[in-house]
Amino acid sequence: MTAKLSGISKRRQPAALAAFFLLQTMAAVFFVGDAASEMILEPASAHSVTEAMVALALVLGMVFGGLALRRTLERLRTQEAALAVASGALVDVIRAQFSAWGLTSAESDVAFLALKGLDVAELSELRGSAQGTIRAQLTKVYAKAGVSNRAQFAALFVEDLLGSGPVQSAVDPLAATSQARSR
Amino acid sequence: MTSTPRTKAAPPDLWDPVVRISHWGLAVIVVANAVVTRGGSPWHVWLGWIGMTLLVLRLVWGVLGPTEARFTAFPLNPRAALAHLGRLASGHVDHYPSHNPAGALMIYAFWACLAVVIATGLVMTGGRTPMRVAADQAAVASGDWSELVTEGAGETDETQGGDLVEEMHGVAANLILMLAILHVAGVAVESRAMGRNLVAPMLSGLRAKRPPR
Repeated sequence: MTAKLSGISKRRQPAALAAFFLLQTMAAVFFVGDAASEMILEPASAHSVTEAMVALALVLGMVFGGLALRRTLERLRTQEAALAVASGALVDVIRAQFSAWGLTSAESDVAFLALKGLDVAELSELRGSAQGTIRAQLTKVYAKAGVSNRAQFAALFVEDLLGSGPVQSAVDPLAATSQARSR
Repeated sequence: MTSTPRTKAAPPDLWDPVVRISHWGLAVIVVANAVVTRGGSPWHVWLGWIGMTLLVLRLVWGVLGPTEARFTAFPLNPRAALAHLGRLASGHVDHYPSHNPAGALMIYAFWACLAVVIATGLVMTGGRTPMRVAADQAAVASGDWSELVTEGAGETDETQGGDLVEEMHGVAANLILMLAILHVAGVAVESRAMGRNLVAPMLSGLRAKRPPR
């Protein structure tokens, strides 16, 4: 849901700029076309100088509108690429942590799926093994990670994403209030 | 120009808004002016001018736009287009970061025909804007023929050239319609051969996400 929403707002900005670019091009084409046909009918009138200036302004506006749109599109693309790299990096971090804990390949598969939010029933169906086996594997995973339940297990990796957040709690009013609330 | 770390041989999942607006806008205008509006009517001239705007928009974007929208991403190269079609016929599919060479050839053919249709249309209307065409026709309809006087001077020697211009307008317009049929067929064949929907990126960008690597 949130991904969908951010996707829409991400598209809104280029769409607005594209509409602006289209409007400017339309204004430039219609004005220049009208001024040109007038120039043919009655050349070298005083106000053709004014019209040439307006035409120049419209064409320049069109060019700058186009450049602004191009820059926005490129910035969005760079952000998307960075996000893909970041989510790929998180997977690498999790894998490295699993092998540091010495999880077997079956255990790390189950642990990974558990992180993705699958419950025991779903896991047993997906892995084709009994629910008891899955529970035993999860218990072993929690023991190796030094936690006692799934929430704590997931929190280990959320903590990685939050970076040095809690350390700054003394100066960060948001973190301070959330700590006070949890107390 | 920031280089994007996307895989080189993949066209965008979604074409940028300018490419999409000009593509569908021109498609609608071509069909509307060929089938719906009467030649010379204010509506026909209006749509023609909007089409001119969209063509100018796309040509400006071919210089200013992002990498895959620029002319340099899909150069006009008939030999490469033929080679591409030959490989396609033998069941070999190539992937390109922008339009494939045959698609590029089609695009330049469209633009050339559109330029001819627009230019001849402007000659036929004396370069008048749609507002003026409508005003002049309203004046003539109400019995005031004086609106036509300003152009009367060049009228006599224009009639012969006028026929030729009108002929060109019609021929180029029909050529666009034939190209459009070829274009739709080409997209269908390429989509099938490549195993990916080529229409979605031009429409909304909504399609199945690529599996994570």
